[in-house]
Amino acid sequence: MHPAFSVLIFTVTSGAGYGLLAWLGLGQTLGYSQTLTPELQLIMGVIAMALVSVGLLSSTLHLANPKNAWRSFSRFRTSWLSREAVFAIALYPLSALYAAAIFWQWNSINVLAGLCVVLALITLFSTSMIYASLKTIRQWHTPMVPALFMAYALSSGGLLFLSVGYFFAPINNQLLNICIGLVLITLALKLVYFFWQGKPQGATLQTATGFTQASVRLLDAGHSAPTFLNREFGYQVAADQLLRLRVLMVLVAFIVPLGLMFWVEQGATANVLVVAWLAMMTGLLLERWLFFAEARHVVRLFHGEQRC
Amino acid sequence: MKLGLVIDLDTCVGCHACATACKQWNTSGTIGPLSDERPHGKDPSGSWLNRIRTYEVGDSPHSKTVHMPMSCMHCEDAACVTVCPTGASYKREEDGIVLVDQDKCMGCNLCAWACPYGARELDTDSGTMKKCTLCVDRIYDLELPEAERQPACVMTCPTSSRVFGDFDDPDSEVSKLTRERGGQQLLPELGYNPVNSYLPPRNPKQQEKLKVSALQGVKQLVNRLINR
Amino acid sequence: MKKNGQQLPQFEDHAKQEYRYTTCYMCACRCGIKVTVEDEKIRFIQGNPDHPVNKGVLCAKGNSAIMKQLSPAKLTQPLIRKPGTERGAGEFEPISWDKALDLLTDRLRHIRATDPKKLAYFTGRDQMQALTGLWASQFGTINWAAHGGFCSVNMAAAGLYTMGHSFWEFGDPDWENTKYFMMWGVAEDHASNPIKLGLKRIKERGAKFVAVNPVRTGYQAIADEWIAITPGTDAMLALSMVQVLLREGLVDDEFLIRYTNAPQLVINTPGKQGDGLLLRDSEGNPQVWDQHTNSVQSALSAQVAPALLGEYEAPCGTPVRTAFSILMDKYMAPEYAPEAAAKVCGVDAQTIERIALEMAHVAFKETITIDTEWTDWAGRKQTQFIGRPVSMHAMRGISAHSNGFQTCRAIHLLQVVLGTIDCPGGHLAKPPFPKHIVPHIKPAKGNAPNTPLESAPLGFPTQPEDLVIDEHGKPRRIDKAYSWDAPIANHGLMHMVISNAVEGDPYHIDTLMLFMANMAWNSSMNTAQTMDMLRAKDDNGDYKIPFIVTCDAFHSETVNFSDLVLPDTTFLERYDTISMLDRPISEVDAACDSIRQPILAVDRDVRSWQEVMVDLAGRLKFPAFTNDQGQPKFQDYKDFIINFERAPGIGFLAGWRGKNGEKSLRGEPNPNQWQAYIDNQCFFKFELKPNQRYMRHANRDYMELAKEAGWVDSTDQIVIELYSETLQKFRLAGQGLYDGPQPTQEHHKQRLSTYFDPLPFYYAPLEQALTDAQEYPFFAVTQRPMFMYHSWDSQNAWLRQIMSQNYLYMHRSKGEALGIKDFGWVWVESHNGRIRAQVKLMEGVNPNTVWTWNAIGKQQGTWGLSDDANESQQGFLMNHLISELLPGQAEAGAQRITNSDPITGQAAWYDLRVKITPVSDDDKDLAGQNLSWPRFDKVKPLPNFTPASKLSSYTSHINVNLKRGWRDIFSRGAK
Repeated sequence: MHPAFSVLIFTVTSGAGYGLLAWLGLGQTLGYSQTLTPELQLIMGVIAMALVSVGLLSSTLHLANPKNAWRSFSRFRTSWLSREAVFAIALYPLSALYAAAIFWQWNSINVLAGLCVVLALITLFSTSMIYASLKTIRQWHTPMVPALFMAYALSSGGLLFLSVGYFFAPINNQLLNICIGLVLITLALKLVYFFWQGKPQGATLQTATGFTQASVRLLDAGHSAPTFLNREFGYQVAADQLLRLRVLMVLVAFIVPLGLMFWVEQGATANVLVVAWLAMMTGLLLERWLFFAEARHVVRLFHGEQRC
Repeated sequence: MKLGLVIDLDTCVGCHACATACKQWNTSGTIGPLSDERPHGKDPSGSWLNRIRTYEVGDSPHSKTVHMPMSCMHCEDAACVTVCPTGASYKREEDGIVLVDQDKCMGCNLCAWACPYGARELDTDSGTMKKCTLCVDRIYDLELPEAERQPACVMTCPTSSRVFGDFDDPDSEVSKLTRERGGQQLLPELGYNPVNSYLPPRNPKQQEKLKVSALQGVKQLVNRLINR
Repeated sequence: MKKNGQQLPQFEDHAKQEYRYTTCYMCACRCGIKVTVEDEKIRFIQGNPDHPVNKGVLCAKGNSAIMKQLSPAKLTQPLIRKPGTERGAGEFEPISWDKALDLLTDRLRHIRATDPKKLAYFTGRDQMQALTGLWASQFGTINWAAHGGFCSVNMAAAGLYTMGHSFWEFGDPDWENTKYFMMWGVAEDHASNPIKLGLKRIKERGAKFVAVNPVRTGYQAIADEWIAITPGTDAMLALSMVQVLLREGLVDDEFLIRYTNAPQLVINTPGKQGDGLLLRDSEGNPQVWDQHTNSVQSALSAQVAPALLGEYEAPCGTPVRTAFSILMDKYMAPEYAPEAAAKVCGVDAQTIERIALEMAHVAFKETITIDTEWTDWAGRKQTQFIGRPVSMHAMRGISAHSNGFQTCRAIHLLQVVLGTIDCPGGHLAKPPFPKHIVPHIKPAKGNAPNTPLESAPLGFPTQPEDLVIDEHGKPRRIDKAYSWDAPIANHGLMHMVISNAVEGDPYHIDTLMLFMANMAWNSSMNTAQTMDMLRAKDDNGDYKIPFIVTCDAFHSETVNFSDLVLPDTTFLERYDTISMLDRPISEVDAACDSIRQPILAVDRDVRSWQEVMVDLAGRLKFPAFTNDQGQPKFQDYKDFIINFERAPGIGFLAGWRGKNGEKSLRGEPNPNQWQAYIDNQCFFKFELKPNQRYMRHANRDYMELAKEAGWVDSTDQIVIELYSETLQKFRLAGQGLYDGPQPTQEHHKQRLSTYFDPLPFYYAPLEQALTDAQEYPFFAVTQRPMFMYHSWDSQNAWLRQIMSQNYLYMHRSKGEALGIKDFGWVWVESHNGRIRAQVKLMEGVNPNTVWTWNAIGKQQGTWGLSDDANESQQGFLMNHLISELLPGQAEAGAQRITNSDPITGQAAWYDLRVKITPVSDDDKDLAGQNLSWPRFDKVKPLPNFTPASKLSSYTSHINVNLKRGWRDIFSRGAK
């Protein structure tokens, strides 16, 4: 798949935003956020929604005909993108209420916080289902995709929560350890994902064309220059290059942040967490890029690929 | 009604008539124009609704060349309809034609991601997705002669390798051909239930393996008495 | 499937639309089209359902005519090369039509008054040879021909000299009744839509379809059996099958005796004058051995029972034998045995045997009969037509070899021994064919100032006396057609004109006039050298070809080399005729012709070449175009077509003749004839009666009609000439045994003695015999794709999206053995040069053959394409590898023997042999670059050229969208 920069930015930034909001809200229901000053909580909330907004705006850049973007709420019944749009927009008034609750210390703050967590997670899930619901892309059509998606968001959101929090407040090692654990689980899930995707399976050029009893090769695509389909789905990275990029991604998205988080746990200054977060965000951008670059849409079969 | 096409791989010679007839009809049709980028330049690339791909099946010297025209399959369980957020992509209840409402599409490409057959292409000029309309602007036009109320591709095909009709009618030509010739779906395992049906190449006519006479040359040519 | 349509908007405003009919001209198929016009724009072009040729279908090219009409490559005004600039530099300035025609008329008038043959007038992809040939004849220059010499004269001539018709526009398989169809060397060759319609018919009917072709694409893809023959060896395959049939006695001896010259007696006096000629009586009739009287009798008698075999003695004592006896001996020879043939043609012996036997089975055991009363040539009533339902079609893959004539004859021989000529299920002629073998038209030899030629420039030689040579035996024509170089060059040798004119061999010319031919590019062999020749100057600094006039509709590479450019209309902008006198669109059961009418108004300063021809003819006062007062006889082209009569009552258009349009085929000029055609969808169809449908060569009911229509001169039987006395006469001349003109040069003697065998035979293509097969191991051929017609259609925005670059296709195993990857770049080298191209590996090709699509490569700057267009950057021509002379003939002192068939002069495009080496990384030229080679200078844009925009969105009206309602959007679930 052709990795569109606007989509990469969208998923990584809004993911971090939703994650941050979830941590804030979860923290509230579990009694931690209250230990932070209301100002700090609001700052976190604003950062979260700012990231979400940057992400959403970025996603509209991907549209070829944005004047119809307002219509994207209309197919909530079936479309994950529609659902994501509805939930994402719904989060604004809800998070505003939560912010008001923080500011004016409403009693309903726990409920609102909880609802924000749920809505943030649902929005994340909906976003990831845009990809995971597609049977045409084997690399995406797996429950691991929404799981990982939410895990990235919670990891990057959590690391951000801790970075911002520990800027103003003392380090809470318990939370740090929870975050470390979350990142480790995410890494483990990612490695399982790589293992699973490595097994060749699914449609082949033979099943696609119906000639299963003999070799099938493309002689002519019907056009000697690339078409929209080639540009959108024909993206190809050499196998060894992909491997190098995956290794790099794991390092930057997970190993480096983990290392830095351990270091903070051992006593380093909390500002290091900001570096850890920036590393993770960079790594996650690379991860998103790989997510697209590794994706092999079955239409490639008709363009001569033997398997996807 | 379940309208769709039957495409006969046994007689398609890959001439591209269907692809260009479609381009020609639809560029001035209901979803037109179909734009062309760099039409006289490097790597010309335009919006087409039907493309012909050619494959070689088998290894030399037993290979067979198969031409495979592909356009929207008007699937029964069309994922492109499911994923579309604006409702631009939809399947008509009356006849099953899958369409893209050009006034509503926002060009997010998601339907193209959902389509395994590459049926949808983004038109650079309009920013919307375009695809086969099964010539909805021809088939119901009572001002056209009845024989011409067909998709342009079907009308033009010089080898009559495309047939149009109602798969819900068991006596229609499309239903009969699919039954009698074993019409196939492409990528059925993805579960979209494409309506367009591909007829596989027929087995070559089996001729009796004629035995060479054991006594070669015995049946000599002789002069017979034949009047002019 | 009715629908009230109420929920649907009105998509098309039909009130604003109009249907106009005309004839397509995207290729030479001439399909009938129905054009929907709206606001003077084209809304849609579809096949005319009522038209006999295409019956409502239309190919990719026809469907894309809009983009041809809108091509930025269209010429817009007459142009003249700027004085003082070099030819080929592309420096043109506009000139008015008046000035252009005055200039041209003056020059032509001078040539005509001094030495008419100094005008060389050659036409390319056109379809109006009857008019241009008449014009040349009236001008008085013998130097005229169309493109057949480099296209498919072998196919046409072989058929016409064998059975009075041939393939393609001369005849078709009986698609409705045939049970076995064999196709030889056919890519996408005219009869384009009819062949497609026919293939569908035969597949539906369960007939077997066998395709002989080194490549498995296109039609071959759907064949039941594909025979991957080695290029140039089809005669071996055909004649080996003939051996199998002879050996098994599976020949139609009745057919041979009644309808061919197989039983005719041939003089058998080897080494003596007259050897191999037919025995004739005092009236000049050929003879047979009559088994009733056991004596020699006239072959034309209806009372005889001729012997097919045997050696006899003529009354005068001359030893004679039947032509068929010679045939038997010849094809029973070991060289034509399947095992031996397999080694030559790459088809295994089992297959050769089997196919022959399959065809015989179908011909003799699956015979069909049609009960109809008909009268045969002798006036006898017959009650049925017997059909041997095996049919064939052959085209350029057979023709474009230096052995193509004999190969086509071999295929016809195969058809004839199976008795499949003009019978139900067999190969059927199309009116005005069949004609007698051969029509009594001899090629003109004259060259008198201000005098028309004594006959047409092209004709049918039957003996050395007919050659167009001078008293020293030297060619009179600039292309050397009808000389000892190419005696039966019935379509001329257009591919030799430039080379010969520049060399001054046989002489220099003054003006080269080209119509619709791309001689400076893909229609020439040896393209770079051809361009040099066009620019060549003599010692005085003058161009060796002093003046070049080109008429074309588009900015081709040849336009760039012109001194005067006369821009043509497109086919949608003019009147035109597809005439019975020319290359008509008849069907097997009907005589048809058609016209074109303007669909769109001309929007630039161009004129149709037909109009210019008539205009020039009037200005130059050609007798046929001038009235008694010395004034132009015809106002314009339309007037000419209506009123010109080649013979009393015979004009260009056969329909609606007679004062009131009441006559068909023959009749007085009808002043409203054009309107009659327009009122009838622009075509005319005259159906044959059931008793006129078959065996027309021996069918009096048909021949009477044909004579009345002017297609034939007499109702005599057309006797199929398996044995060609014409060829034997030339052979005798080569052997020094002919009582008449004989060649004096050794190589001519050798060629005539070797190749002019009166019976078809296989010989290795000439170039191949002179090329080291070890060094050049691959055969190299081209074919035309279904969606482009020669150099046309790269200027078409839609068609070029299908293909803007061609690849060199190669067998996968051979490629891998040479270390060539898919889409790798290679050097392809022949004795004449080398090119660099990109390879695509494939399965379905003869392993020793490489091929590409022809004419995709273009010169940078032409055809309205941008400078970085793929056609000029990655596209390539095979032409650079081919020479118009045989290997070694370009050297000083050589004979300049043409790389053509020695009988007809047909350009031997497909005789090419090459070697292939992968481009290595340290190749100095273009290593690592995605570019083909050789590279040519960029052609300058013409004055007032408007380049295309980067984005185009054609429509004839604003689209009416089908909107989905809000309720539907919100309420519907997953489906």
